[in-house]
Amino acid sequence: MASTACFMIISKNDIPIYEAEVGSALKKEEAAHQHQFILHAALDVVQDLAWTTSAMFLKSIDRFNDLVVSVYVTAGHTRLMLLHDSRNDDGIKSFFQEVHELYIKILLNPLYLPGSRVTSSHFDTKVRALARKYI
Amino acid sequence: MEPDVSIATSSMIRIAVIPVGEIHLHLFRKYAGMLDRHHKIELSTITSFYKVDKKSPFQQQPWESGSLRFKFIVGGSPPSPWEDFQSNRKIHGVIGICYCPSSPDLGSVAEQFAVACKGYASSVVQRCFVFSPGDKQLADGNNNKNKLVLFPPADQRAQEIHLQTMMQEIAASLLMEFEKWVSRPESGGIILKTPLDSQASLSSEEVIKATKRRLGRAQKTTGDYCLLAGSPVDANAHYSTALELARLTGDHFWYAGAMEGGVCALLMDKAVQKDPVIEEEVKYRYNSVIVHYRKSFIQDNAQRVSPLSFELEATLKLARFLCRRELAKEVVDLLTAAADGAKSLIDASDRLILYIEIARLYGTLGYHRKAAFFSRQVAQLYLQQETTFSAISAMQVLALTTKAYRVQTKASIPDQPISTDGEGGKVNHNSVVSLFESQWSTLQMVVLKEILLSAVRAGDPLAAWSAAARLLRSYYPLITPSGQNGLATALHNSAERLPSGTHCPDPALPFVRLHSFPLHPSQMDIIKRPTDRPDWWAGSAPSGPFIYTPFTKGDQTTKQDLIWVVGEPVQVLVELANPCGFPLIVNSIYLSVNSGNFDSFPISVTLPPNSSKVISLSGIPTKPGPVTIPGCHVHTFGAITQHLFKDVNNLILGAQQGLVISDPFRCCGSGKVKTTHVPEITVVPSLPLLVSRTVGGDGAVILYEGEIREVWVSVANAGTVAVDHAHVSVSGKNQDSVISIGSEVLESALPLKPGAEVTIPVTLKAWQLGVTDYKDASSPILLIHYAGPTEKNHEPPPGRRLVTPLNISVLQGLSFVKARLLSMEIPAHVGQIKISENSNSENSSLVKIDPYRGSWGLRFLELELSNPTDVVFEVGVSVNVNVDRNSSEFDYPKTRIDRDYTARVLIPLEHFKLPILDGSFLVTNSKSNKKAEVNASIKDLISKIKVRWVSGRNSSGELHIKDATQAALQTSVMDVLLPDPLTFSFRLIDQVDQGQGGVMAQNMTPMEVLVRNNTKELISMSLSVTCRDVAGENCIEGTNSAVLWSGALSGMKVDVPPLEEIKHSFSFYFLVPGEYTLLAAAVIEDPNEILRARARCSLSDEPIFYRGPPYHVRVNGTL
Repeated sequence: MASTACFMIISKNDIPIYEAEVGSALKKEEAAHQHQFILHAALDVVQDLAWTTSAMFLKSIDRFNDLVVSVYVTAGHTRLMLLHDSRNDDGIKSFFQEVHELYIKILLNPLYLPGSRVTSSHFDTKVRALARKYI
Repeated sequence: MEPDVSIATSSMIRIAVIPVGEIHLHLFRKYAGMLDRHHKIELSTITSFYKVDKKSPFQQQPWESGSLRFKFIVGGSPPSPWEDFQSNRKIHGVIGICYCPSSPDLGSVAEQFAVACKGYASSVVQRCFVFSPGDKQLADGNNNKNKLVLFPPADQRAQEIHLQTMMQEIAASLLMEFEKWVSRPESGGIILKTPLDSQASLSSEEVIKATKRRLGRAQKTTGDYCLLAGSPVDANAHYSTALELARLTGDHFWYAGAMEGGVCALLMDKAVQKDPVIEEEVKYRYNSVIVHYRKSFIQDNAQRVSPLSFELEATLKLARFLCRRELAKEVVDLLTAAADGAKSLIDASDRLILYIEIARLYGTLGYHRKAAFFSRQVAQLYLQQETTFSAISAMQVLALTTKAYRVQTKASIPDQPISTDGEGGKVNHNSVVSLFESQWSTLQMVVLKEILLSAVRAGDPLAAWSAAARLLRSYYPLITPSGQNGLATALHNSAERLPSGTHCPDPALPFVRLHSFPLHPSQMDIIKRPTDRPDWWAGSAPSGPFIYTPFTKGDQTTKQDLIWVVGEPVQVLVELANPCGFPLIVNSIYLSVNSGNFDSFPISVTLPPNSSKVISLSGIPTKPGPVTIPGCHVHTFGAITQHLFKDVNNLILGAQQGLVISDPFRCCGSGKVKTTHVPEITVVPSLPLLVSRTVGGDGAVILYEGEIREVWVSVANAGTVAVDHAHVSVSGKNQDSVISIGSEVLESALPLKPGAEVTIPVTLKAWQLGVTDYKDASSPILLIHYAGPTEKNHEPPPGRRLVTPLNISVLQGLSFVKARLLSMEIPAHVGQIKISENSNSENSSLVKIDPYRGSWGLRFLELELSNPTDVVFEVGVSVNVNVDRNSSEFDYPKTRIDRDYTARVLIPLEHFKLPILDGSFLVTNSKSNKKAEVNASIKDLISKIKVRWVSGRNSSGELHIKDATQAALQTSVMDVLLPDPLTFSFRLIDQVDQGQGGVMAQNMTPMEVLVRNNTKELISMSLSVTCRDVAGENCIEGTNSAVLWSGALSGMKVDVPPLEEIKHSFSFYFLVPGEYTLLAAAVIEDPNEILRARARCSLSDEPIFYRGPPYHVRVNGTL
């Protein structure tokens, strides 16, 4: 498991709808903020890159210092972003694919307004379990 | 590292610009700015200053197309240790700027300038520009031929030209100096060193190495000078040699430098940057530059000095060269690589410059979030320095990032109307989402906190206030109560250092939303007056009992227009919310009006923690025209801010969609309020204003049911304009209880001047209390529509409506128990009949039965009344026979009904009979028609009967008996109304003089029977007369007859002409005194339809038989 990992889901309107610090390292608020700043900045790169490929998984697209940003763009242009310091591309890909499935289940909920925050605790638990498994 | 590097930097001549003597910073900046326009001097323009003394070393100098470029280092800079390596790092010239009025002594200026120039050892051209010299200085300055250049006071344009000339002169001087330098014989022998070469101990090996390399380095430097002199071809030649030599000697660092210079020369020469071939070439060469810089890294002095900064600069230069949207990927790769280098940089300021440059390049690329990220890194580096200046820089840099993080201050957002209302006020989810696009609260909070921190450190209270306000307003749900308190303290602390009355563009608390516009009080209603209708009041008020009907609801558009009147105070309700954990003191809040024709009155409010409050803000319109109210001005935490309603509405929408963390109003427990649209408000010029009051107190008038009372309504003009015309009407429930309004009193008083008063009498009649009557809503309303004078050729000003509720409280009065129809038969006395031809003829038009004449089938309406009240009522019945003539009114004696008693009042239903039995009533085709006619006749009948009551001294009224009597009369109205077809009566002949004596027994008594035909047709009949004694025995027939007679008594065939009377005479001889009854009867022959119908016979061949009422005859005995 990676020591640092920050997973976020960004809606197509660039609003974060889910965030989780899934790294094994001690959680510091400062660091968590920095992670989000890096992910936010990486959106600029994703924005251009997403249209150059038909693949959903864009691999690692950006980095700052030792932290790498991997991105998975769904068809609805929701971006699953992971900031990590490990180099386990396959694991990350599987992680993204399974989280995507979970996210689709959330979308199927008629009470969920697309683009609003994902507040399901079930989703949170599942995502963290997946992170432990793959990253 | 140096900021703002590009490939072209190698070709720029650095000139330090320094202030000399006393000069205000503002002026210095202005003059330095003027210099900036001359950063490029064409070679062709400097020929006049250029003196050729020997052959130029720059053989390929492009005199037609070339130019010299300057880079002005404002404020100067210390010499760089890398000057030898890149000649463009040298300060070649110094320009001093002096402002004469503040430092008039030119001598000392020259001295100061000379001293300042000593710091720039490499400078070859020094000039001091003296601006705005006086006449004395001009005289002096022309004398001493030193480095001072005087700029006589002139207009902007002249000064510009002067400056340009001076710059051309400087350029020429520099060019000549460069030529001198290059053609110096010893230029090849000088040892060029960089900090990279070890300096501590020059071992023999090192010295040999250095001499080997010397030639290459000299060639490279010459190339640099060629570049500075604007001769790329020459430069290129030198660089090629240098490259060869550096490659041979393994001098990677200088190799890379020469290559860099070569690229610059290439671009200068070709001057076409977009050419893909050249672009490829530049890319290729620069990549090798970067590689060679990397190669020149020497491990042993890596702690002290490193070529890394050159590598990074080269990377940045390439990135800047490629910086285009199409090449974003390459640029991003370069910049990412450059950012990686930051860790290895030794100098913190180098890292700062690197991040700044990366941020700038990302910004140019359009990657605003990346740019913001690196800007924030820069700010953090600044914040680590802990000085005021670095804090100011941090604050400014962070301010640049606010746009990318969507936390910018309102001052930086240009006003752009975002229309939020889509179809019919329903807001599309997507459009709401777009309002909150890129709202990343975690980052936003961090950035705002950092801005607040840096602003506090930098001592900028306004920026601190604004940041704290934004933080508190937008992210209060994410901040703990203690954090909220901290922010409140920060706001207070900042406010203490702000001048009072400072406007801050960013609102803090409270949240303000529009609650409602209270309607005009009913006394001030304004009604639009269409020009084409004189009766503009019609239809403007609800005429029915419903104030709101579903039909009018449809007419109302969502945006209702409001009309305000100049000089009349208005109110607007707003709701304030303080969702934070501290009590909020709003020093003042007032409506902000942009249109400038509205005076708003401030009020102060205190909001407890987590509370909301609806307050009323008032103001006075001052000028006619439209008024827009975008929001409120709030003075709280020591600053004045504008709170727009629109923003809060958007916020609430966002909260509804789950896009914003919390709705400030809901979390304060305020109910859900429909979004109120700001209506279009127009202010109209002053209008008259009527106020009304009921004379004798505004309390309700207490009336018993049916009581009639006159009240007076006093109407006064409280406005400043006269009332020109007015119209009075009644509306609301129980409208018919208003019997009359003295509107003519008002009309006669027009025009009603300001301050004038008129009293209008209104006659009321209390209505009947129903089961469902509510006391409040059942009073009728007096409406007065009025308007001021209309100026000619102007649209008429709107009218107004004064609503005066006539407060009537109706008490239960006499209550009606039931009505019954009684019939009665009173026999008449033949003896008492006074035949008066006069009276007969007078009443011949009506068949009336004299009450003393007796009546057969006389009917009474019996009303049973009870008096549940505690006063005494006197009831009187009057019958108005002929509505047209008041004279024919019959009054009956009054009946007194004590409290808690019940009484019966009898109303004889006579005088109602029609004169003629007409077919129209009885023979009708349809049943419904008949019914309608019956009802109409009943109504007519009832309206003639009035039951009035009097109670006490001044209460009087009328009973509502209509419904009851109608029910009672329903069945037998025909009998009441229609006369019999035949009327029979008896009278004595020649007995007129006998007086009271009457009929004497055993006397021949001549009598006659009168038969009147009440129909319009001739009736033939067989008439018969009988006489009965007290026992009812027939006295004429039979064995024991007590009466003798002469003349015919039965079977007399007579024809009665229409509407006429016939007489039939006969005589009786009564044998025995006593009471006798005379009866006349007739069998109609060939009866027509009317008669049949009247007789209610069903069979067509049934004989119709009519009988007259019995007549009593008293037969007195003989004396």
